[in-house]
Amino acid sequence: MDERVLLVEDDASIREVAAMGLKQAGFRVTTAVDGRDGLMRALQEPVDVVILDVMLPSLDGFEVCREIRKQSRVPILMLTARTDTVDVVVGLESGADDYVTKPFEMPELVARVRAVLRRSSSQPEETTVSVGGLELDPASFIATKDGRELSLTATEFRLLLEMARRPGQVFTREMLLDRVWNYDYLGDSRLVDVAIQRLRAKVEDDPAHPRVITTVRGVGYRLERR
Amino acid sequence: MSKRPVPTGRLRRRLTIAFVLVAGIASGALALGSFLLVRQARLSDSLDAAKAEARFDLVLAPGLIQISPQNLLGSFRQNRVNIVLVTRGGALPSNSNFNPPIPRGLRSLVGSGQLAYQRVMDGRRHLLVIGGLIPGSKDELYFVFPEDRIQRDLAQLRNILLVGWGVVVILAGLVGRLLARRTLDPVAKASQAARSMAEGILATRLPVTKQDEFGAWAASFNEMAEALEAKIAALQEAQARERRFTSDVSHELRTPLTALVGEASLLAENLERMPPEVRRPAELLIQDVARLRRLVDELMEISRFDAGRESIQVDSVDLMALIQAAVRARGWDQQVEVSGEDVALRSDRRRLERIVANLMGNALEHGGGRCRVSVGINGQRAFVEVTDRGQGIPSEHLPHLFDRFFKADPSRRGTGSGLGLAIAMENARLLGGDIEVWSEVGTGTRFTLLLPVMESLPGRAPAVSPQHESEAP
Repeated sequence: MDERVLLVEDDASIREVAAMGLKQAGFRVTTAVDGRDGLMRALQEPVDVVILDVMLPSLDGFEVCREIRKQSRVPILMLTARTDTVDVVVGLESGADDYVTKPFEMPELVARVRAVLRRSSSQPEETTVSVGGLELDPASFIATKDGRELSLTATEFRLLLEMARRPGQVFTREMLLDRVWNYDYLGDSRLVDVAIQRLRAKVEDDPAHPRVITTVRGVGYRLERR
Repeated sequence: MSKRPVPTGRLRRRLTIAFVLVAGIASGALALGSFLLVRQARLSDSLDAAKAEARFDLVLAPGLIQISPQNLLGSFRQNRVNIVLVTRGGALPSNSNFNPPIPRGLRSLVGSGQLAYQRVMDGRRHLLVIGGLIPGSKDELYFVFPEDRIQRDLAQLRNILLVGWGVVVILAGLVGRLLARRTLDPVAKASQAARSMAEGILATRLPVTKQDEFGAWAASFNEMAEALEAKIAALQEAQARERRFTSDVSHELRTPLTALVGEASLLAENLERMPPEVRRPAELLIQDVARLRRLVDELMEISRFDAGRESIQVDSVDLMALIQAAVRARGWDQQVEVSGEDVALRSDRRRLERIVANLMGNALEHGGGRCRVSVGINGQRAFVEVTDRGQGIPSEHLPHLFDRFFKADPSRRGTGSGLGLAIAMENARLLGGDIEVWSEVGTGTRFTLLLPVMESLPGRAPAVSPQHESEAP
């Protein structure tokens, strides 16, 4: 264990209790009170996962998320208000890996933090997977397409890897939620849709007419064999 | 008037008919009256002249008849006075062209010594017959005056009046139609305006062009429309304010609630290590935080419905599988018995789950800890029936069951917020469905969720590739 969590949250009580819960679960926690401070710490300190509140003074959570993504693929977990379903989509589009809605219980937060960490941890025993022009190396988390390196976040990498292991097979959103995000029951399937969109933007030659990851209407997605 | 709002036009017809009737009766009465007056005058003129002639001639008659009856007849013939002399020997006319049969009634009047007259028809000729006794004898002398001219004149007058009356009636019909249309035009406009107001165009106003009753009416219609518009705007504003307030309150509650939920969850993890005297309060605190959380969640959800900010995410759903998963996820396998057929439909998975879980949770709470769920298709609609054998709901409460914060028994401290069924109903409506309830005190309660089926397949939802076994290289 001993993974380092950066918690960016402006409300003192929530910050303290979340930090306490995470510490009890075995994480090393550093906290930031506002967006600017959070961004600085995320980029300068060694951090394994960032927990970002959406509503932050000075720089909001989405902005912080986008800024971090420009330089790092550290897993990011957003804390959103359930009221705004827009929050979820915007958060995911700005590069977050997952989200937890407020209010949340500590075990829930801890479970989600572990899930994103698991996704980003390398598994050296796995061998390289290649489909068409894609090459995925689970050990180094490096994905290439026709020899060119793709900059994928851990979640995007996991998603692509999951589908590349069984090219041609249709994956329902629920299956992907279960395997990639570790939601065992009724997660938000928009997670999958948004991540697929982001993935296409990086993998496809023409994201408007996807040929690598295709949609099977009413069912899910498929990675084409080519 | 581009579009006739009242296609029947009955009022217009009635107005026209009334107008025609009045004009027809008035002009008819006038024509008839004048005809009768003229007729009366002409006939009495003719009679007066005839009477004067008869009196005069009767005075002459004794002298003439003394010579011989032929002399009398000849004299009158010469003077162009047509007479019929009736003696004991028979009737002798002076002019065989004017020899009408003398009516018996007239003869008896004349016989009694009076000067009497009667109008008779001889063939097609109108004749005035005046008779009297020749003074000093029993012989009757009848004077015959033709009245054909008078009758022809009268007939002509009658025809002219009839034609004139007909023209008046037709003109009255045309004018009446025009007037009725012009009179009712404002009514048609007003009804059009009222309809457009009913359709929600509250800014509709009537033009106030004339200084008449309709103008005044249009003005008061406009006043009403203005008052209505203002009232509705005020109501909408009040409602929006209330909704904003609900939304703001639930938003403001969220931050401290998030802290509370986190803190309670840490307490829950460490309950075992607490000394007994604080452990129970801690348990209660955890429970109440959970209750508060549910309430705030539901308040926020309701305020999202009110703001119309809820959207649906349509997906293929296997209803049976969804319900079974919902039961498993909540650990209700022992209490809930699910049966029925596989139903595939396109709907919002999360909302369906929410509705069904709410109905089952309700049934378990109020229905004696057990319930039955049955799934199927009835015609165009899929149904999910949740039946319990609880104490039932009195019928007077049934219409309010889906009201916000309604609790059938206010004294009973339920775990629910009072918003659950209201939210379930909002969700059902959002999915194009409905929730019906049947209940009988002492027997139990049955909630039926009805959903539109757009895609109904026998068996499972669209083919899904088999789940693969394990993570393998």
